[in-house]
Amino acid sequence: MTLVQQSNATSGGSGSGNLYDVLELILDRGLVIDAFVRVSLVGIEILKIDVRVVVASVDTYLRFAEACNRLDLESGRKAPSQLTDLVGDMTENGAKGKSKGALTGAVEAFSESLQGKREEPEEEPRKRPARKSTAGRQSQRGEE
Amino acid sequence: MPTYIYAITGADHPLPLGGLHGVGDPPSELRTLRTDLLAAVVSEAPDGLRAKRRDVMAHQNVLEALMAGGATLPMRFGLVGPGDDEVVAALDREADAYRERLAQLDGRVEYNLKAGRDEDDLLREIMTESDEIRQLNERTRARGSHDDRVALGELVAREVTARGQREAEDVAARLADAATHSSHAEPAPQQFLNLSFLVPRAETDAFVAAVRREAEERGDAYSFTLTGPLPPYSFV
Repeated sequence: MTLVQQSNATSGGSGSGNLYDVLELILDRGLVIDAFVRVSLVGIEILKIDVRVVVASVDTYLRFAEACNRLDLESGRKAPSQLTDLVGDMTENGAKGKSKGALTGAVEAFSESLQGKREEPEEEPRKRPARKSTAGRQSQRGEE
Repeated sequence: MPTYIYAITGADHPLPLGGLHGVGDPPSELRTLRTDLLAAVVSEAPDGLRAKRRDVMAHQNVLEALMAGGATLPMRFGLVGPGDDEVVAALDREADAYRERLAQLDGRVEYNLKAGRDEDDLLREIMTESDEIRQLNERTRARGSHDDRVALGELVAREVTARGQREAEDVAARLADAATHSSHAEPAPQQFLNLSFLVPRAETDAFVAAVRREAEERGDAYSFTLTGPLPPYSFV
């Protein structure tokens, strides 16, 4: 399992990691008022269009075909199909610290940033040493 | 002078904006426009404003501060009115709708959940379950024409999309009870889910726990990114 948990986008020091994940909310959602104008978002819109075009192109099909050809079905036999296997597997991997993702200690930080406070609890890794973070984007201040 | 609008709140909102500034370089000064029932947080709209990191951050910082102070309607980035008078007129004109929306959002925050699945894991599943795709795969692996490869890729692409949609619906259904509302958006490439939830502030711990359970049950092939609490951009 991988769950990266982030408190809000701009708390957390540099604030560089999380903004990307909420960018489309800030730019595409939110309230507008009829008849008022919006600034140009030219570059950003082009990026999004590119994404959609690419999904149904011959290039994509060929990439999928190549990925399938490359797959080793035999070694994939143990591929997850049952929930119980999954959970067992996950626990083992987690215990070995193999889990590729990060479950951060940000839960506690949530309520603090909600209040707009910035006290930092001591920088001890919390409780879950086996899941020590490997992802660079979570909001452990001081690391970024 | 055009007016940049950050948010609309009730007139009784404390507007905790100390130390914050608005968009632009040099940063613009934040101001408040008021009617009897509502307030709007605004600044001057700088010339040539674009969606630069600095400006998007400034917008978001203002909204996070307001969110901590009470119900807030976040405006979309970059919204500019002709002037203060027109903003006040808009507040008056839409007062009922804004008040109603503020009441609905009071005490609630947004969480955004993105999820992806390891591509090999998904392709393996597709191949295990489709004879046609498996056979095409064997054929193109040996030699196979360009057309075969395109046909294989197209079938697989279709499956990837369909399964992604099913998984997105499934995750949404399983988390539905933990949130007040949810709102789907276009997933990023390589992901199947981009879903925002409106969650009562008092129940955020339970919501986060539900997401964590969901992530754990799905196993190593999946990666989830949960961001929040956020201003309720997706629910205004």
